[in-house]
This record gives sequence, C-alpha cells and structure tokens, in this order.
Amino acid sequence: MDDLTAARATMGFSLGFHIIFAVIGMTMPFLMSAAHYLHLKRGDAVYLELTRMWMKGVAIFFAVGAVSGTVLSFELGLLWPGFMEHAGPIIGMPFSWEGTAFFVEAVAIGLFLYGWKRMKPWVHWVTGLMVGVSGFASGIFVVAANSWMNAPQGFEWADGVARNIDPVAAMFNRAWPHQAIHMQLAALQAVGFAVAGVHAFLYLRGRAPELNLKALRIAMVFGASAAILQPVSGHFAGERIAELQPAKLAAIEGHFETRTHAPLTLGGIPDVETRSTKWGLELPGALSLLAHRDPAAEVIGLDRFPREDWPPVLIVHLAFQLMVALGVWMAVLGGFFFWYRRKANFPRRFLWALVFATPLGMIAVEAGWIVTELGRQPWIIYDVMRTADAVTPVPGMVYHFVLFLALYLGLAAVTAWLFVRQVRITQRKFEGL
Amino acid sequence: MIDILIFFIGASLLLYILLGGSDFGAGIVELLPARGLRRARKEVINRAMGPVWEANHIWLILIVVILFVGFPRIFATLMISLHVPFLALLVGIVIRGTVFTFRHYDAVQEPVSQKVYTWLFGLSSLWSALWLGIIVASLTRGTIDPKATDVWRAYFAPWWGVYPLAVGIFVACIFAFLASVFLVGETEDETLKRRFRRDAAVFNVLLIATGGLVFAASLGERPGLLRLFIAHPVAIAAVVSATLLFVALWRFVSRRQVMLTRAVAAGQVVLILGGWWVLYAPNVVLTVDGPLGFYDQAAPEPALRQLVIALLVGSAFIFPSLAFLLCVFKLGAREEQ
Repeated sequence: MDDLTAARATMGFSLGFHIIFAVIGMTMPFLMSAAHYLHLKRGDAVYLELTRMWMKGVAIFFAVGAVSGTVLSFELGLLWPGFMEHAGPIIGMPFSWEGTAFFVEAVAIGLFLYGWKRMKPWVHWVTGLMVGVSGFASGIFVVAANSWMNAPQGFEWADGVARNIDPVAAMFNRAWPHQAIHMQLAALQAVGFAVAGVHAFLYLRGRAPELNLKALRIAMVFGASAAILQPVSGHFAGERIAELQPAKLAAIEGHFETRTHAPLTLGGIPDVETRSTKWGLELPGALSLLAHRDPAAEVIGLDRFPREDWPPVLIVHLAFQLMVALGVWMAVLGGFFFWYRRKANFPRRFLWALVFATPLGMIAVEAGWIVTELGRQPWIIYDVMRTADAVTPVPGMVYHFVLFLALYLGLAAVTAWLFVRQVRITQRKFEGL
Repeated sequence: MIDILIFFIGASLLLYILLGGSDFGAGIVELLPARGLRRARKEVINRAMGPVWEANHIWLILIVVILFVGFPRIFATLMISLHVPFLALLVGIVIRGTVFTFRHYDAVQEPVSQKVYTWLFGLSSLWSALWLGIIVASLTRGTIDPKATDVWRAYFAPWWGVYPLAVGIFVACIFAFLASVFLVGETEDETLKRRFRRDAAVFNVLLIATGGLVFAASLGERPGLLRLFIAHPVAIAAVVSATLLFVALWRFVSRRQVMLTRAVAAGQVVLILGGWWVLYAPNVVLTVDGPLGFYDQAAPEPALRQLVIALLVGSAFIFPSLAFLLCVFKLGAREEQ
C-alpha cells in the first residue's frame, strides 16, 4: 500500500467509523427527550425506564463519537497538511461554530447524565434536549466544511496560494443546503430505524412488550418521517450536483457519454474500459428529467473530463444504487408504519421487516458518504487541489493505517459487546413492564 | 486580532492543563496501590470527573481549531514534524476517553472487566500525559526541521531525547498532583482523604525532583531551557514563587480549606505555564530555520476576524453553560443520584 492510499484508507475508515457514532450522538438524544417528555407529561413509569435505558446508550456512543471526533480534528492535519494549510483559514468558520456547538453539547450531556436529582425535572429535561439540539447543530456546521470541498468558493486560487479569502462566502457555499438537509435527515432515519429494529426484535421475542412497543413507536416516528422526506431531499441534492459537480453525477449514474434525452440507469455495472454501463435497466429521458427538469436536456457525461479527472466510477455508481435502494425500501416501511399506527396494531410480519431493517439506515449513510467522498476524487478541493498534492510527506503511512484500524476495530467490538450486555440486563430488569 | 487569538490559545492551554490535566491525573492516581480503597477511590473519581469529563477535553480541540484556522502554517508544520508523538497522544486519548465511560456505564459491574478498565484508564492516562509533555517540549527545542529529507531528522529527531522525556514526566507529575489535590475535596471518607493527601505529598516531592530533572536535561539542548531561564527574571520569579507556594498549599491542606488548596495548586500551574510562556511567546514553535511566530504566521485578516467573532460569541454560550454545570455539580449538595 503506498502512502497516499494508506492515508486515504485511514481517513475513510476514521470518517466511516466516526459517522456512525456521530449520527447516534446527535439524534438519539431527541428520541430520549421524547420519551422523557412523555414521562414528565403523563407520569408513565415505563417512559422513565425507557429514558434511562436510552440515556446509557447515548453515554456510551457519545463517548466513542467524541474521541473519534477528536482524532479526526487532528487527522485532518496529520494526513492532509497540504490541504489544511490552505483550506484551514477559508473553512475555519464552520469548524469554530462546530466546536462551540460541541462544547455546549458536552456540557449538556454532563448535566443530563449526572443531574437527575440536582435539577428541577423540566430544567433537567431541557438539558437532555440541548444535547440533541447542539449535537444536531454541530453536525450541520461540520457538513459545511465538507460541502465547501465539493463547491469551493470564497477565495481566489492562483499559483498554489489562496487569496482574497472570504470565510463567510466559503461557509455559505452552494453545496451546504442540500448536503446538510440530506445528512441530518439521514441521521434521524438511520437512528430511528436502528433503534426501532432492536426494540421490534425484543418485542417479538416476548420481552417487556409494553416498553418495547412504546420505544418502537417513538423511534419510528422519527425514522419514518425522515425516511419519507429523504427521497425529496435526495432529488434536490441530485439537481445541485448536476450543476456543481457534473463529473460526480456522471459517475453516480454510470453516464459516460454527454447527450440529450439521457436515460436513468437502474443497477448495472459501469465498465470504464468500454465506457458503457452494462446490465442496467434504462429509463429513457429520466436522467435528463431528474437532473434538469426536462426530459430533453443535455446531461454532461464523463467524456467531457480528462480520464485522470474521473472519480472511481464503479464504486461510486454501486454505492449510490445501494443507498437509493435502501432509501426507497425504508420510505416504504415508513409509509406502512404510519398506516399501521393509525390502526393501532402492528402485524408481526411488519415488525420482522423492521428487525431486518435495523442496519439499513447506517449502511445507507456509509454508502452516501462513499458517493460524496469518492465522487469528488481525484480532488480534495473540487477543481482546485488534488488529493495527491495534499497528503502528508510522512512515510510509512501504512503503519498509521494499521494502528487505527486495530484501535477502531477493537473499540467497535467492545462497544458492541457493551451494547449487548446493556440490552440483556435492562430487558431482564424490566421484564415485568 | 492576533493578540486575542494568542490569548485564547494561552487560556485554552491553561484550562486544558488544569481541567483536562486533573482528568489525566485521576487516571495516574488510580495506578497507585490503595489497599482495599480501590473501589471507593474509583467511585469518587467517577463522581467527580463524570459530569465534567467531556467538557474538560474540548479545550484541546479548541487549540487545534484556532491553530489550523488562524495559524495554518504552524499547524501543518507541527502535524508533519511531530506526526509520531501526536499519533501516540491520540491513541492514548481514544483509549482513556472511552474506557472511562465504559467503566461507568458497563451494565454488568464485575471485578475482572472493571479491573481491566481501570488499568487501561490509568496506563493510557499516563501515556497521554507523557506524550503531551513530549510535544510541548519539542515545540521549543529548535529541532523541528521542515526541510529535512531523511526520515530520522524529519520525523524523529524533533522529539527524540532526554529533555522531552523529562518534560513528559514532569507534566505527568503535574497532572497527578492536581488530581490528588482536587480529589481530597471530593470525598467525605476520612481514610480516602488521607490517601489522596498522601498521594499529593508524593507527587509534590516528585514535582520538585522532576522539575530539577527538566532543567538538568535541558543542559544537553542547544538553545537550552536553563540558559534562557537564567537570563529571564520574570520566569525565575514565576518558578520560584510556584515552588514557594507549596508551603501555603500544605498549610491550607492541614486546615482542610478545600477551595483555597485548589486555588493555590491552580496558581502554581498558572505560574509554571506563565514562566514558560514569557520565555518563548510569541515564538512558541522553533524550527532549525528559526521561529514560527504567531505574528508572522497568522492567516489573512478576514479569516482571523471570523475566528475571533466565533470565539467571542462562542464564549458567550460556553462560559455560562460551564458555570451552570459547575454550579449544579460542584456547589450542590453532595448526595448521590
């Protein structure tokens, strides 16, 4: 593995790891606060148990998210000093705001976790909600930094130096709205489905039926709403990408040839050698329609870009197909949820479908980030700086990669083990509820 | 503008050493034998550190953000030349941060896993403190060589040596000392109080010894801390008064004045850090080609302005919420949930 590959693998792995915990850390508090609210409002003890149960989950996942986030803030420099040296001042603004939001979150989580008997109940509830609000805000801010890499603005680039820096323009870049909306919905969706799936499983196994059903309902209200809204935000994102990063869109769709009436290819395997996508289902004119709201519009293909500026087409295309397929399936499940919720009765078959949907949201989040990040390659700042020019000169990056791979895999294993222990114990304790 | 940023870097560094440092120190203290008090000591540390745990460590992130936004060249240079120690520090931070939470929130509190958590927490705390000291020492050695092409000169020589190690040990002692002084006031249990007081005494002696070690080790360095130090009356005054304050500290300890004891210990750290700061600031990073100063390495004006705004507005959120946190936990009644 050469140094650049190792650095990219380290970054990809660190981000892929952190994102799961970040997503849980910023949306799980909302679920927890909802349960807490219902307890305070109705005085129902089951909701109190649920709040405490979810709180412990939040504590564990938050800790892992916080340290892996700390690692990332260093890794930006450890792996990509060339990038940070130029980009740091330009996109520092969202990072500073993210830091502030995260600070508030860390304070709020301390207050909520340890403050049960030290504050008035509603003040305590607000601290729990603040964990979610500030976590959510920090997610929105940090996405601004990433979206700037996709749609860089707020500076002039000449002779390898950035001039006339305008951090405000950089922060409010044109990719921010669609990326932030898509990401935050994805977070709610992934966590909603993951939590609902676990509780559906426990319910089906006959464990603490009332508790698990109540948990499932709360989680799915978040998950299902987000899942139903997500295709709309995805479409919005697609339109913006068509405009901002046509090469990424072309890779996503396996679209090699610039043409009008461009078809949308469902599935299929893009072949870079023959410049064609095989075995896909083609919907005539659909890509033109989706990207430019006109079935006759011209959609730029990869042929407009020099070969060395192509993203890895195969992976980007497949990751995108996976994300969309999972998203559609979760939206369907979300629709059914609201349907059955009105009838106040969930068929077992639906609950089993939720069980199998437990990891789908998280997988979709990972797939989506693969699309965003690999779809931007070979650029680290789109059309400005290449990833290869930003990498650290430090040799032996493969050791760095192996070290963090081992560390994070170990951490993931311990977290999973703790999670299972937690679920077992709490479920046994509340069997009667 | 730059002055405000320097102030925030200095303040964050100080708060990180004081608050984060006592977290690290708590881990180091837990490595000491305790003869039957282990469990009680663990409980005290959980209760004392738990609520402030996450907040204490954000000062480090704040420093990183200020550096890469406001002083990107300094940040990039450090991340390249000190890649190895930063990596080592991160591994320690990851392990101790997670293990501390796991220990508290593990649903099954059984002796074996608890023991593993505690040992990991202690060792990784010591490890991180050592590397933090090594990094701080390496900043001002003048050994950072951005143009070096051979691996040793570029990535190992900047931090390799007796002097950085001595500073690492010194920092670990400061942290452990801070933690034991802090923990004395966190328990009502007399035997445990005595235990923490004894720990504080041990680290007090070690601090003076390793402080001497730092000066001795610096004789092997070319700009050399000691030589700079002797020529600088303010720094001398700071270190001498920090040392003399031990007398006041132990008087307050014996009178059981918790807040005053803590204030004195914090004051000592302020003096030590202040002494270091006046020796080097604003050139706290020295390379073979000369210093990378805050004033000549600052980012363009618009970036600095936005950073300062963010920091000031952020402080308006952060300090009240921190104050609220401290009010709720440190001034409230000491009953357990």
